[in-house]
Amino acid sequence: MTDNASYSRRISFDDVSKFYGDVLGVNRVTLSIPPGITSLVGPNGSGKTTLMNLMTGLIRPTRGSVRVFGISSSDPERFFREVGYCTQFDTFPRGMTGYQFVYSFLRLYGCTALEADELTWRSIERVNLVEAAHRKIAAYSKGMRQRIKLAQATCHGPSVLVLDEPLNGLDPLVRAETIALFKVLAEDGMHVILSSHVLHEVDAISDQVIMLSNGYVVAEGQIRSVRSEIREHPMQIVVRCRKPAEVAAKLFEQEQVVEARVHGDGRGLLVKTRDADSFYRLLNKIALNGVGIEAVAPADDDANSVYEYLIGSEETAR
Amino acid sequence: MAIYKRGYRTYSGPLTRERWRFLVLTRYAWRTIFQSRLLTAFFVFSFFYPLGALLAIYLNGNATILSLLHQSSELLVVGNKFFSVFIAVQGTFAFFIAAFIGPGLVAPDLANGALPLYLGRPFSRADYVLGKMMVLFGLLSFVTWLPGLLLFAAQAGVAGHGWIWDNLWLARAIFLGSLIWILILSLLALALSAWVKWKVAAAALMLGIFFLGAGFGQAINLILRTKQGTLTDIGNLMRVVWHDLFRIERHAFDFPPTEAWIMLILICCGCLALLAKKLRPHEVVR
Repeated sequence: MTDNASYSRRISFDDVSKFYGDVLGVNRVTLSIPPGITSLVGPNGSGKTTLMNLMTGLIRPTRGSVRVFGISSSDPERFFREVGYCTQFDTFPRGMTGYQFVYSFLRLYGCTALEADELTWRSIERVNLVEAAHRKIAAYSKGMRQRIKLAQATCHGPSVLVLDEPLNGLDPLVRAETIALFKVLAEDGMHVILSSHVLHEVDAISDQVIMLSNGYVVAEGQIRSVRSEIREHPMQIVVRCRKPAEVAAKLFEQEQVVEARVHGDGRGLLVKTRDADSFYRLLNKIALNGVGIEAVAPADDDANSVYEYLIGSEETAR
Repeated sequence: MAIYKRGYRTYSGPLTRERWRFLVLTRYAWRTIFQSRLLTAFFVFSFFYPLGALLAIYLNGNATILSLLHQSSELLVVGNKFFSVFIAVQGTFAFFIAAFIGPGLVAPDLANGALPLYLGRPFSRADYVLGKMMVLFGLLSFVTWLPGLLLFAAQAGVAGHGWIWDNLWLARAIFLGSLIWILILSLLALALSAWVKWKVAAAALMLGIFFLGAGFGQAINLILRTKQGTLTDIGNLMRVVWHDLFRIERHAFDFPPTEAWIMLILICCGCLALLAKKLRPHEVVR
């Protein structure tokens, strides 16, 4: 894919602000979201749903512009070919079966009866609900509802799938199945944008994250890149080795290492350093000198820690 | 960042014409409406009066039957008063049908937060309102202007060639009078339904607006010694408009038709404003 083609397949926010009267939704958001799975992370009221509503064309920005692959929502016929939205709440018109739910919205989308029928079955098959297709949605379990919503959002083959809290209320098994489905969709080349409160799942699913707080984007990109940008919190790295005290002494020769704490079992230590690259280089030297290093792993370059560093402190301050 | 190769294509098949897509909503609503036996029974019952009127027109124009009844002239005059009464009676049926169906058209969608589903497609709020309004328009047409024009045609057939040209304005009055009533009922039902988001409350509110509005208007008239209070009585506003359309002499206590027209236009604008305010495509921001 060339750079231009790659750029044109992005969702772009250009200095976007959205106000609901006096209430701030999001402010001065500039983003360019590439394909893959992107998670929107932030506390309640941070602007996640507003951002999703903006990229699905449900609301218009007070200022700035939102484009999906260069298409604005003011061109709905083209825009909605590209976007599928799975809402946070169980939003089902009453009395419909799973099949009717998907089929009727394809008719609204503009598909002919024959095409709508074919696409409906295809999307219902994808979410593994064929047997329950003619049962009323009211009788579906939470997981089935989530899946039929997904079928509805993907039935017209959108390139961008926006999912608001898609894992809410799902049991672990269905969660795992749903996450696997997201991955399949992303591997098919879809932009999968989802919001979630479950940070360890964000880690497992996402190619990149967008962190929001009080209507502002506080960080975006791959978790590790974001973590390395947070200078005020030294990186925490776990080193498992036989002689942790010796390793700690050698590590303290480096200025960037600010803390080393030997584990209670005497088989490892937690190191805090301001420069992870220098630290790893030094650790290599130590290992080459014959000190047995069994394992090295970063301890705080996950979504949870990044969230805590960037947003947790603000939340506490509030 | 993983850049994936696209393994599928977006749907690129033919689409139905954008202009008529709102009819999908209408078709779906019609399918479910007649699942109610009560409504079906009431709908059937609303055809009794037109059938009776049709029979009366037939008997009235049949010389043999008139002679059997020892009548030298027609039993009744089929003219503006006849059709005005017809519209008033059928208008009442239309009101109850609208009060029964209308609130259930929008309230469940809003209560379930289903609007983003509709509007997350190339489907505007205007399309949504139009689709829902067409449900009522279709049903109420069967109760009002369609049988009205049928009676007009029957009378034209019975009375002879000259009658139709002399009374063509009556057909216009039947159609226009019904259309205005359907518009008012539809907009009110949808707006109230969108406002309270609960179909039972919306139906009660609709009945309240008509019946309490009349009482409220009378109270204002009595207290302030005016006749402007009646402007809050939608039924009375329609009566004045119908009388104007059917060229029936005004009562001394009636206000001028222009005021009634203005009031009805204001009510329509109010309903549209309420719909525009309530039918928001986005979910609650928490």
